[in-house]
Parts: sequence; structure tokens; C-alpha cells
Amino acid sequence: MNHLQRRQLGFAALMSGPIVWWGLVLLVPYAIMFMISFYSRQFPFHVPDFQFGNYWKIIVEDQYYMVLMRSLKISLFVSLAAFALAYPLTYYLAFKVRSHRVRMIIYVATIIPLWVSYLLRAYTWKTILGTEGILNSFLMWTGIINEPISLFLYNQFAMVITMAYIFTPYMVMPLFASLEKIPRNLIEASKDLGIGRLGTFWRITLPLSVPGILAGFTFTFCLSFGDFISPQLVGGPYSNMISNVVATQFGIAMNWPMGSALSMVVLFIVVAIITMSDRFERAGRLDLG
Amino acid sequence: MQKLRWRGVAAAALVVGIAFTGLAIAPNQAEAGELAILTWEGYADSAITQKFEDETGCVISRTYVGSNDEFPAKLAAGSSIYDAVSPSVDTTGILAKMGVVEPIAIEMLTHWDDIYEGFQTHPSVTGGEGWMPPEGTVWAAPYSWGSIAWMYRSDKFDTPPDSIEIFWDPAYKGKLSIWDDKTNIYAVARYLFGRDTNVYDLSDEQLAQVRDKLIEAKPQMRKYWATAGELVNLFANGEVIFSNTWGGYQSALLIEQGIPMVEFLPKEKADGWQDAWQIVKGTPNMECAKKFVTYMESPHAQCQMSLTMGYSMANATAAKECLTPEMYETLHQGDWTYIKDLDFWQEPIRVDKMVETWNAVKAAQ
Repeated sequence: MNHLQRRQLGFAALMSGPIVWWGLVLLVPYAIMFMISFYSRQFPFHVPDFQFGNYWKIIVEDQYYMVLMRSLKISLFVSLAAFALAYPLTYYLAFKVRSHRVRMIIYVATIIPLWVSYLLRAYTWKTILGTEGILNSFLMWTGIINEPISLFLYNQFAMVITMAYIFTPYMVMPLFASLEKIPRNLIEASKDLGIGRLGTFWRITLPLSVPGILAGFTFTFCLSFGDFISPQLVGGPYSNMISNVVATQFGIAMNWPMGSALSMVVLFIVVAIITMSDRFERAGRLDLG
Repeated sequence: MQKLRWRGVAAAALVVGIAFTGLAIAPNQAEAGELAILTWEGYADSAITQKFEDETGCVISRTYVGSNDEFPAKLAAGSSIYDAVSPSVDTTGILAKMGVVEPIAIEMLTHWDDIYEGFQTHPSVTGGEGWMPPEGTVWAAPYSWGSIAWMYRSDKFDTPPDSIEIFWDPAYKGKLSIWDDKTNIYAVARYLFGRDTNVYDLSDEQLAQVRDKLIEAKPQMRKYWATAGELVNLFANGEVIFSNTWGGYQSALLIEQGIPMVEFLPKEKADGWQDAWQIVKGTPNMECAKKFVTYMESPHAQCQMSLTMGYSMANATAAKECLTPEMYETLHQGDWTYIKDLDFWQEPIRVDKMVETWNAVKAAQ
């Protein structure tokens, strides 16, 4: 066995694990799901078939369209809220905090909720936003309101708040990485050339942080789009999201073909978003040398 | 040579992969001497099952469902996980037709003769055309029954409600709740088309009307409840004041917490339900499963079930033995006028269409 062969063997041994893993848990299931999406539902289960009825149903029956639109809308709001929270914070961390230690403490404190169970964090919001919850009790104690406000919980507002809280760390991480990488001498040069703070931010910092913004938006948007816990916990009668519908198809409706077709549509939307964000990112990439 | 080596690597990888998959599946499978049951909250409470576990040595593990539709779904996804299930009689037949449950020998059910005759002869127990179990067997062992009653906080109503009419009263905006389940269709269908409508066989047009009516009620809904615990919390935290309920169960839990609750049957008539135990086909714990199903119809288990859950029991003899006369009356044991006034669940003719209609309600703006 010569050197080249040994290296090839070593490489094959190293890669076989990931390749098998990738094949078994990703590729094969996707292929099966794609195949089942053409099956027909037949009580009590389904039969192999090749027909486009499931996809047709998604197009013509407005219940699927409505839920898809609602999911897109809510994901957009979550991403915007997460961005509005994360950008000032990461900007402050990257440019204003001088001590490396303080910076790391604040950064870790921001992303540490990721180590806490999702369910627990979502439940917490229930106790905060409820009619007899912490927020209402506080507002009544201060005298701002006399009657508890029921508008905080069991609606889309509560879902956006909860998901924004849960997914903001996914916005903070890429934003922080991109802001921290911006060479300080560019900002200094801009100032030397007499550009004000706002101008420098607008023309230097913001454009250079676009990759981070795009990555953050992609993360938060896709994660919210696929969420089905927050609608169940803090959502109300108008809060069903696409993942709840998919879960129902594989659960109580026992309509795996329809569930698979819906999953394919969701997959297509998510892949489209990732591709788009990748394109934008490439187009806006600057060579900083 | 090169080719051979690749094949070797591929084969080794495949073995590793399969081993991993096996490892991932193994812990879920029921082990001998263990009894994994899929049931409603409270149904296998240790107050009911402790005696069984002590006597047989079978150790029970419990998984809970929030609706009957979860039984077929969970069994279709992997029936080897569960040994015994307790669906309502609108679902026992579906499981039999799916071929995921075993026929139960009547001879084995030592308390069979004590079960109310009406339950013994229910088509969902004895089977029907095309899905009859073998001679001398049944598909399910009747366990409990009751109503889908409605309940409200008596401190929040000046005039006690007697109908589901308040669904459409804007005065109750955001104060009501209903079960996240297709059976809401039945209640609204009776409201729209009269109390004796066959709600298990509705036409497309009727279903569309029911759907629109349920959508019209959405502003009044605070939340669709999914589990018994969730509904109790909704009332306890002051979120809702009116809902449907598993008659006798959640209201008792709330009254225990000091919340003034009243249960009633609406003038439109209420659903009735019966639950029965079924044995999952091919379970490796057949002995435990058989003993368990028999045990659950015994006077001890039946009485404990009624006392802890507030549901009526299927064993007529046991009801006479262990209930006080007041409880016997409260639980309507053998009260056929009451029973006849309930619209007992049947397997819907087009269960898919029902689920689809309910989903359309949930999707609507």
C-alpha cells in the first residue's frame, strides 16, 4: 500500500461516519417524505400512488394559504423584533465596551438562555403575560391600570414576544461576529476625513455588518417559521402556524401524504430563503484585504 | 483492490449505522414485565393501578393523550411502543380496522357478566360488517363512561347559562374556551340543525355551515384547550369562565382549588362517551396486558376510577357495591333516562372530513 492509497483509506474511514449519518438521517428521510407526498390518503391510513392531489389541495384550499401567510408574517415580526433588540446591544458590545472581560460577560449573559430548555422559557412567558400574571399584577400595583389586561397572552403578540426572546441570541451571535471583525482603522479613517458619527455608521459600519444581519435574519426567520410550541403555549385561537398543521397531519389527521406535501412546501420556502440570503451576502461582500 | 476496499468501508459504515439506529430505537420498546399504556390523564393513576402492580409484578409506564385522534396516530407511528390503550368507542373500531389491536377473549374477562348490557353489545365492542372479531372475542373491554358536559364559573354569571348560545355573544369576548377536538362539530351541529341530528354523518353543506359558525365564535375564544391540566389552569388563572369538559373530572379538580364551578348539560343535548381498553397487536407483554385489561374491569379498579376521576363505571355490580347512594345517583349509574338523553359517540362516517373541518376552523383568521 503506497502513501497515496493510505491517505485515501484514511480519508474514507474518516468520512464514512458523517456520510452514513448524513445519508441515513437526512437524505433518506427527505426522499421518503418526498415520495409519500404523492401518495393518497385512504382510510384508515394511506396507499402508494403518484398524484399531485396533495399539492393541489394546498394551492386551492385557503386554510393552508392562510396559515402559511400567518407563519411568514409572524416570523418576519419575530426577526424584526430580534434585530431591533440585538443590533444596538451588539453594537454597544463591539464598539463601546472597552474591557474585554465585561464584553464577554455581557455576551455570554445574552446567549446563556440557550442552555435553558425551550419549553421552560416559553412557559415562563405564560406566567408573565397572563391575566393574573406578573406584568398585569405589576401594572395594577403601580396604578397604571385598574383591570387586568387580557391582551398580553393567548394571541400573536404573545407569540412574537416569546419567540423574539427565545431566538434573539441567534441574531446576537452572527451580528457580534461581523461587527467585531470590522477593522477599526476604517472607522478612524472615516472620522479623519471629517465624516460624522452617523455618516460613519451609515457608510462604514452598517454596510460591513450586512453579512451578520443576513445570517441573523435567516436564523431567526427560519426558526420561527418552523416553530410549533409557542402557538400551543402562548398562542390563541388565531395562532395556528404551518408546523402545527404539519404536526396535525402526522398526528390526529393521520394524513401522512398531506403532511409530507406540506413539509416539502415548508422545506422549499426555507431553502429559498437561505439561497436568497446567500446571494445577497455574496453580492454585498467587500474585500477588506 | 481499490474497489474492494471501498466496499469494505461502506459495509463497515452500514453496520455502524444500523447499530446506531438500533440503539436509538431500543429504549422505546416495551420490555417484558413492563406495561406501557397509552391513555387519558388520570386513567392509570396509582390509586387505581397500585393493587395490580403489587399483585402481578407488571410495572406500568404511562403516556397520555389529549384527544381520541391521537390513538390511531400514535399506534400507526409505531405500535410496538404501547401494550394497552383506552380509546373511546368512536375510535375502538378504527383501531380494529387498522389491524393494530388484538381481539380479547370474553372468557378471559372475569368481570364481563357484570358490565352493563348496553356496553357489551355496542358495535364498537362487538365489531361490525367486515371487522368482526373471531367467535367468543370482542375488540374492547368497556371501562368507563360519562358526558361531555359544559361548565362555568358560577361567580361570573348572573343568569346561569343553559345553552352554548353564548359562543356568539360578544359580551363574552375572549372569555370562553373549547376542547381542541373535532367533537365541537357535534355540539354546533345540534345547535344549528336540532338536538336529534345525526351528527356523525353530516353532509358537506352541513359541515360548511358548522365550520362558519365555529369561525364566527372565534372572537369569544381565549384558547382551545388540549389537555385536562391546561383547562384547569385556564380556569384557575382567571383566563376563561366557560368551557366544555370531561363531565365530573376537571370541575372537581377546580372545586378542590376553591373555584366555584357548575356543570350542566345544554338544552341542545350533550355528547356521551364510553371508553374501553384494547390490547395492542403483537405486544411482547401479552400476559401483563391481558391481566391488566381484566383487572381494570374489576370492582376495585372500577370503584377507584369513579372515586378519583368522577366518571361513571361500566361494571354495574361494582357500582352497587362501592358507591354511596348519593354518588350512585350523581354518577347516573343505571339511570337510563339520563343515558338516553346523551348523544353517545359513534365512529363518524367520514372522520377525515371532520378533522379537516376542525382544522379549517383553527386556520381561519
